[in-house]
Amino acid sequence: MYGVLDISVSGMVAQRVRMDTIAANLANRDTILDAEGNPNPFRRRSVIFTPGDPDATSDRARQLGVHVSAIEEDQGDFRKVWDPDSPYARPVGTPDAGYVYFPNVDSVTENINAVDAVRAYEANVAAAEATKSMLAQALRLIA
Amino acid sequence: MFISGITDTGALPVLEKTVQFAARRHELIAHNIANLSTPNFQPRDVSVTGFQAALAEAVDRRRARAAGRGPLDFPGTREVRPTAQGLRLRPMSPSHNVLFHDRNNRDLERTMQDMVENLTAFRAASDLLKNRMDLLNAAIRERP
Amino acid sequence: MIDPIGMLGPNRAAGLTPRTDVAAPAGPGQTEGQGPVSFKDLLMKNLGEVNELQKDATSAIEDLQTGRRNDVESVLIATAKADTAFRMLLAVRNKMMDAYEEIKQIRV
Repeated sequence: MYGVLDISVSGMVAQRVRMDTIAANLANRDTILDAEGNPNPFRRRSVIFTPGDPDATSDRARQLGVHVSAIEEDQGDFRKVWDPDSPYARPVGTPDAGYVYFPNVDSVTENINAVDAVRAYEANVAAAEATKSMLAQALRLIA
Repeated sequence: MFISGITDTGALPVLEKTVQFAARRHELIAHNIANLSTPNFQPRDVSVTGFQAALAEAVDRRRARAAGRGPLDFPGTREVRPTAQGLRLRPMSPSHNVLFHDRNNRDLERTMQDMVENLTAFRAASDLLKNRMDLLNAAIRERP
Repeated sequence: MIDPIGMLGPNRAAGLTPRTDVAAPAGPGQTEGQGPVSFKDLLMKNLGEVNELQKDATSAIEDLQTGRRNDVESVLIATAKADTAFRMLLAVRNKMMDAYEEIKQIRV
């Protein structure tokens, strides 16, 4: 009885974490300084999904479902903006001198991922509703 | 004794197997839905026609053996194994969709269709099961 | 003459003498020229019909679950018919039992 919704809820949780990551990426699209004020652009983060759910309550449910196994930073190149007069431009003598590094976050990609995450979340909600309906139906066998 | 004559009459064994199959398959479909975005995950299903064919053979054997009375011996298929706790599924039928860039060949629309159809089959079988049991109870209680 | 419980027999000592001046009305299921249909035969015939309906419903359900037929509504109708027929038979049987109990109470 307990844990019948584990599979679908794990899917919902995973998609929500993905949405949170996307929201964080979009919010930090122009963050080029870190907390100490040094030029350290925000790196785009992405979630890694893995089948299985270690937080599930039963052994069987631990093999089914999905969970976020890691949130890793995208090691791709930063976005470069030519601005040699900016205090945060790359110094002369370094590669990309005169350019300012901006986070490697692309709005279009993030928006498309957001749409996909919402769609998957709704699908998981539908699956959870179907599970509840099946349980209610089975209970009516004796009621 | 005669108790198994009551619990195995008519269409009850077939309905029982269908209800168990539909319930286990729902878990499988929910697992596929939860892993819609998981890279390197290929959703797998069990073959419904395979299960129904095996069930049809068992029904025919039962009809030939005892004119439709007695227990149903369902040996299962490669993917569906009867155990003491019901049925265990071993999904082997892959999805036939294109492989996306994350090496996941999900097909959201077909998966949702499978889920809804499976749910309807579960409902139909469990309603019919309830109906047959009610009839038996009416006969036993002698109250129509 | 309809003789449901077989009290009119060749044995006159049972105490009942059938009237011969009144023609017996045609009972249900009786056609011209046939002998009287007993209630017992009627009951057995209906028992057979209910049994056939139940067997039809059972094989319809089995065929639906094994994929041999796809028309859910026909199966549901067959099941409902078998249901109602059985409950009707049960009600008739209960009434007959009550009537029998009542007759048993008659003090002769």
